[in-house]
Amino acid sequence: MHAEPGKIHGTADDEVIVAARNLSKTYRDFWGRSKKVALKPLDLEIRRGEIFGLLGPNGSGKTTTMKLLLGLIFPTSGEALVFGKDATDVSKNERIGYLPEETYLYKFLDAEETLDFYGRLFDMPPEERTRRAEALIAMVGLARDKKRQLKEYSKGMTRRIGIAQALINDPELVLLDEPTSGLDPIGTREMKDLIIDLKKRGKTVIMSSHLLADVEDVCDRIAVLHQGELKELGRVEDLLRVTDVTQIRARGLPPAAVAELRTVLEKHGGAEIEIGNPTTTLEELFLEVVRDTEARPGRRARPTERNA
Amino acid sequence: MVLEEEIPKFTAWIGPAFVTWLFTAALVAVLASALAWLVQSLAYGPLAAGDRVYRGVLTTLADLAGMSPRRIWALARLAIQESLRRNVLVVLGLFAVIVLFAGWFLDPTSVNPGKLYLGFILSATNLLVCLVVLVLSVFSLPADIKAKAIQTVTTKPVRTGEIVLGRMLGFGLVGTALLALMGTVGWAFVVRSVRHDHELVAADMLELKADDGSTSGYEGRTSLARGHRHRVEAGIDGVGRTDTVQGHRHTVRAVDGAGGRTWEVGPPEGLLEARKPLRGTLRFLDRQGKPSTKGISVGAEWSYRQYIEGGSLAAAIWTFDGVGEREFAAGLPLEMIVRVFRTYKGEIEKGIAGSVRVRNPATGLQSDPIYFTAKEFTIDSLLIPRQVGVTTTDGGTRQVDLFRDIVADGRVEVVLQCLEPAQYYGVAQADFYLRRGSGSFAFNYLKSCLGIWFSMLIVTALGVMFSTFLAGPVALLAALSVVLVGQFREFIQRLFESQVTGDSKLVPGGGPIESLYRIVTQTSITLELDPSPAVNAMKALDTVLLAPMRLGAALFPSLSALGTGDFLAGGFDIPFDLLGAHAVETFGYLVAFFLVGAVCLRSREVAA
Repeated sequence: MHAEPGKIHGTADDEVIVAARNLSKTYRDFWGRSKKVALKPLDLEIRRGEIFGLLGPNGSGKTTTMKLLLGLIFPTSGEALVFGKDATDVSKNERIGYLPEETYLYKFLDAEETLDFYGRLFDMPPEERTRRAEALIAMVGLARDKKRQLKEYSKGMTRRIGIAQALINDPELVLLDEPTSGLDPIGTREMKDLIIDLKKRGKTVIMSSHLLADVEDVCDRIAVLHQGELKELGRVEDLLRVTDVTQIRARGLPPAAVAELRTVLEKHGGAEIEIGNPTTTLEELFLEVVRDTEARPGRRARPTERNA
Repeated sequence: MVLEEEIPKFTAWIGPAFVTWLFTAALVAVLASALAWLVQSLAYGPLAAGDRVYRGVLTTLADLAGMSPRRIWALARLAIQESLRRNVLVVLGLFAVIVLFAGWFLDPTSVNPGKLYLGFILSATNLLVCLVVLVLSVFSLPADIKAKAIQTVTTKPVRTGEIVLGRMLGFGLVGTALLALMGTVGWAFVVRSVRHDHELVAADMLELKADDGSTSGYEGRTSLARGHRHRVEAGIDGVGRTDTVQGHRHTVRAVDGAGGRTWEVGPPEGLLEARKPLRGTLRFLDRQGKPSTKGISVGAEWSYRQYIEGGSLAAAIWTFDGVGEREFAAGLPLEMIVRVFRTYKGEIEKGIAGSVRVRNPATGLQSDPIYFTAKEFTIDSLLIPRQVGVTTTDGGTRQVDLFRDIVADGRVEVVLQCLEPAQYYGVAQADFYLRRGSGSFAFNYLKSCLGIWFSMLIVTALGVMFSTFLAGPVALLAALSVVLVGQFREFIQRLFESQVTGDSKLVPGGGPIESLYRIVTQTSITLELDPSPAVNAMKALDTVLLAPMRLGAALFPSLSALGTGDFLAGGFDIPFDLLGAHAVETFGYLVAFFLVGAVCLRSREVAA
């Protein structure tokens, strides 16, 4: 559905927060000659409260789309509207939080100074800045390291302070460019939990990633970009659903019951693809090990059915 | 001190100047918009370009209106923190080293060591402070853009004007702190360097005898201090003063005690002063006594001073206005800087004799000559007393009151003549003045530091402005070019005028191409090139090349013109009219550079 150009329609959860209309970007050289078509005309609408994923390989146009929505670069044609305003309108940034692909912060500041600085940019009064900064530092788990300069931070810690600065203004719309980039599995899970939590708090999240699992885990809707062109757009479960395959999952079935199920499938002409024990994800396994280790320090690995 | 142009009253020009500035700003804005439309038209067509430019102007104005002091201060603080991270304070160490070793190469026996030390300290401070803020300001924003940290700033509700102003403010404050520290150290250095004490022992003082054998006074010489000593003359009461050496003198006083008479020498006077002059206007009489607009040129290339011939009716006449009895109750304290041009050597140490008379401009009544001897490189003081002698028609002399008979409605003329034939006095308008008193030297030093502060602010703003659309090294070169063109502003203006009018005497040698031709062919700049199509083409090309330089010279700031070090080193109070003019000029440039920087950054894709 297309809205009237320049206007955002809907209310409450149906409200369109971000809209791209025929949005394209071509990078040009000094003489104005076309150097690279980074984004072909794109039409897109993102509604309040959803987690929207921009998915695609490197160079597909995800970051360009995000920069256009943020007004960091200007469109070659079309328009990008955020909260009904042109993306280059600075006032829209009052309601936005942005985490860039690499966390480009000022390395000579410590965590507190960083959040204080960004808080000032939102014209926040001192008490509110302090309160927000303390809460966010605690939230991202940097309370013990808040006095260290960012240049001493690991990549994961930098990422965390990056997300904290993106949330300093309690934004309605959060744009995360490759949010799990550089994070270990625990950090990745925490980031994903955070994104889901943001949604629960009514925030709208736009994230770009080329890590399919991340997108699949958290996004409500995705746009798949390739070579600067929109290839797919829709709800994740709709796009991933394989309509001609039926899945049966059960716990505690005896082998005889499994054999019986096979018989039923054969009787109805269904081709058996797989019946067996499902495997968990590597991420789940890793997190289980870490949780177990933290619960029982010093415990060594012992032969189990898995690793015997 | 050289003062080539009279300092106009601040209130006399500020109104019209503001109107001109507004008009120029509006004109530049219109031209810039037209240029932007032209460039955009090539890419998007005339209508879309018009729309873009219109929206660009509107959003720029909205951005400017929506600027927040808190955000500006946040960005300024960031600039300060960045400067400290870049170890900007190292420059203080460098300055300290320069000051520590300055004593090695500054000659304490120079004609005026105070002037030398002040000139050195002010130059070193100016150079270091401006250089530091220039480097900081040109590399900061490009580094942020390169490191992409700017993306986390521009995605906040930050106006480009705030980014530009925040940086200007931050680096300006860094420069101010550096200037304050260097200025304080420099002050201490100068004061300590010129401070000295002479000793005068009774044995060195000779009694002067009158014809009747009675004591008429004392004379002698002080001890050697800082490479000089003074001749002393004291009256019979034991109070006297030294002669002027190295731009200063001392008072001397005899103290009679139980152990006999001792002599006390006071601190140096005239070294670190802030004279407040009342200046007049100058006109000349030629050797026949006829009015003339100029004196004689003695062949000096610099025509600042005009010369009057000795032993003739030639005279230099200053007219002073606003001479009030209350202010000058004791008489007119005349101070003179008289240059001497000798056509024969004569007695070189004696100086050239001259006379000064005061004259009523209304009645023509003039005093008898008051004689003095002009000494080169020093300021001669002469107190014209309340009662002056005038020659009566019968050849006699009568005393008249200065303010009742000579000064007419606060106006008085002072007539200077050189008495020695074939010798010449060289004077300029600023060389004769009535001394109104002295201001505080410390305050004058502070005012001089203000001149450096203005330069520093302009350099900062210039650096930040260029950094909004150029890479760091290119921005540095661009800023230096502007400063350089500004320094040679007057020369470029005269050169262009010379090219356009064809008057090669104005600036001999021609423009850049002609100069290069002369260098290669080793042709003297005073030699006219034979007219030919090639020469004409060369001159035409020079004119084309000089046109943008002429425009730049008209627009770019001249940092040296903001300096007031000459006043301070010369011992003159820096007039508030001049400081006001410099402050307004600086503010004008700051506003212009800020606006250009904000617009350039607004139209730039910082994440491209």
